[in-house]
Amino acid sequence: MSKSKMSNWGLGLAAAAVALTLSNSAFAFDTSADKSAPKVSGIGMNITDAAIKPWNISYFYDGTNLPDGSGTVSAGEKIYSAQCAMCHGDFGEGAHGYPKMVGDPVDQFEASAKAGVDAVSNRGLNNNWGNAPTLMDMIHRAMPFYAPGTLSVDEAYSVTCYVMNLASIPGVGDDFVCDKTSLPKIKMPAEPLYVTNSGPDTDNTRCMKDCYKGTEFVVEKAASIGDVSVGKVQKKDSQ
Amino acid sequence: MSENMINPVPEGANKAGVASSDRRKFLRKSVALAAGGAAIAATTSANAADGLKTWTTPLKNEPTRHMLGRGVVSVPYGLPSKYEAGVVRRNVGWLTADTIASISFTPWQDLHGIITPNGLHFERYHAGAVDVDPEKHRLVVHGMVKQPMIFTVEDLKRMPSHTAIHFLECPANGAMEWRGVQMDSLQFTHGMMSCSEWTGVKLTTLMEMVGVDPKSTWFYGEGTDGSALQRSIPMEGAHDQHGKPIPALYTSHYRDAMVCYAMNGEALRPENGYPIRLFVPGFEANVSTKYLRRLMFVDKPLVTYQETKHYIEVLPNGMIRQYDLVNEANSVITSPCPDFKMNGKGTYEIRGIAWSGYGKIKHVDISVDGGKNWTEAKLTEPVLSKCLTKFTLPFQWDGNEYLIMSRATDETGYVQPTLKQLREVRGFNSIYHKNSIQVWKIEKTGEVKNVQIENV
Repeated sequence: MSKSKMSNWGLGLAAAAVALTLSNSAFAFDTSADKSAPKVSGIGMNITDAAIKPWNISYFYDGTNLPDGSGTVSAGEKIYSAQCAMCHGDFGEGAHGYPKMVGDPVDQFEASAKAGVDAVSNRGLNNNWGNAPTLMDMIHRAMPFYAPGTLSVDEAYSVTCYVMNLASIPGVGDDFVCDKTSLPKIKMPAEPLYVTNSGPDTDNTRCMKDCYKGTEFVVEKAASIGDVSVGKVQKKDSQ
Repeated sequence: MSENMINPVPEGANKAGVASSDRRKFLRKSVALAAGGAAIAATTSANAADGLKTWTTPLKNEPTRHMLGRGVVSVPYGLPSKYEAGVVRRNVGWLTADTIASISFTPWQDLHGIITPNGLHFERYHAGAVDVDPEKHRLVVHGMVKQPMIFTVEDLKRMPSHTAIHFLECPANGAMEWRGVQMDSLQFTHGMMSCSEWTGVKLTTLMEMVGVDPKSTWFYGEGTDGSALQRSIPMEGAHDQHGKPIPALYTSHYRDAMVCYAMNGEALRPENGYPIRLFVPGFEANVSTKYLRRLMFVDKPLVTYQETKHYIEVLPNGMIRQYDLVNEANSVITSPCPDFKMNGKGTYEIRGIAWSGYGKIKHVDISVDGGKNWTEAKLTEPVLSKCLTKFTLPFQWDGNEYLIMSRATDETGYVQPTLKQLREVRGFNSIYHKNSIQVWKIEKTGEVKNVQIENV
């Protein structure tokens, strides 16, 4: 029932989207309050693309906007040992609670998830990363954690190259060179696993009386805070 | 203490005076002490009608009756009473590797309305809170636009303003409860969520100024902190990286988005993105980039680290789900809750909060029998879209065991799921968007426990 209401809402929005593409004053569909708002003028400055460029360090999944420059596995290994291994592990296994670079192979990861085994704690570049260019984005923008944004483009390409090699990403051999042409061609092993959310996935109903018969199984906390409760099942008579 | 019978043990004095790391333990201790003190002061003569005892000791004046208090501006920026020292944000040490990329929790057990005081708003950092100089800070809006522009914070404050009350929730709220009962405290089961009155410039105002190309279907924000966090936000006509359309359910939220400079009437706090942040009502909080320095309009998602590795859901079928952006309808009973013990039989009010990232709360139902029978609670005005709604229902506690729970329904007709329903589609090993019905168990001792009902 909730799903049908959702899709009606969706149709309404599709109509709004059509209106948007037909209109040059793009936001005429907005609330009446905004329609009456005066056009803003005399505030802010225009800026050139050249002036923005130093801030525009977003590298898209398909390689769009990747910078000139390059890096190698061997150069990356040196940087990784000095600046990354203390948190991510000598072999990419993670350390001190920081993320691992190398998890279970993707087929094992998938099988674990299907078997109800915790796959989440085994996430690495080989089983939970969709596209190589965004690995370069993350490393160049936010790594190393304690000094974010301090790697040069070539250094960031090199670390990108090394951690993919460490995680046995197909095609990233010891001699692989990472740059704006080679990264988009890498096929990350987990890429086929990604799906886009399609909307609410539960459909509870608003039952008010006698919503179920029988006994509920109440699980209480069994362990101290910090441990995951195994739970103890106890029976409780109906009120 | 015996000379001060009117208030034998101020509860807050115990809160502040006991240097205990286990807050729940000493809270309960103070409740027990207060009850003991009352027993000393009161006589044993009982009121025939309802069993209440009668107070007979002549009342004495508190010291505050015979002294002068503090003058104005002795505390130029006001602080809570010293007796409320226990009402603070807390974190869970083992949850994250450090406190820099970490989260803290709002103490909902001690709050009474829908607005979170600014000092208690939950914190979520990916690279720590930073102090950004508002004089030097700039916002750039560019990409698929007619004219890229740059703004100062003062520029933004001069523009037509927009003010609205909305919740802001980390999708990891409740995450520690997927596999079993773990956090015996409301603060830790539901504290990754806060609600404020936000003020800023509507995103659509900025979009009009730069002339966003109608072909632009996504935009993203970027912060000026160490994480330079960026998240892709869909607009009408957005497609994912595989070329599949993003459901229309997620392509309209941006219309309510704003670039905020104020929360609850004052400047944003550094913890919440001072001087400016993006805010997308209804969406998981991490898309609302703090310390916002750049908005770029594009025609495809970035598929950033946050979107490929972090804020994703590994489903029981082995697939990895992306773009689960909306915090769906959720609710929790804030009183009674595990953080406090019941204080004797008699009248209570079941109180709680409900919210939905799709719009207004329509109904909140309450069960005290483990979900067999439900009664509709009274919603307290205002009932606003994508905002906390307070609900209440009278409750007489007769000293027996009860399993109490609340269930929210939003204006789209979506009904908050049970934990069993959620686990059926997401498994036990999920992390995000755990919006299932929360059950508290009132024990005969008056203890309130966090429990899960597994089979219904």
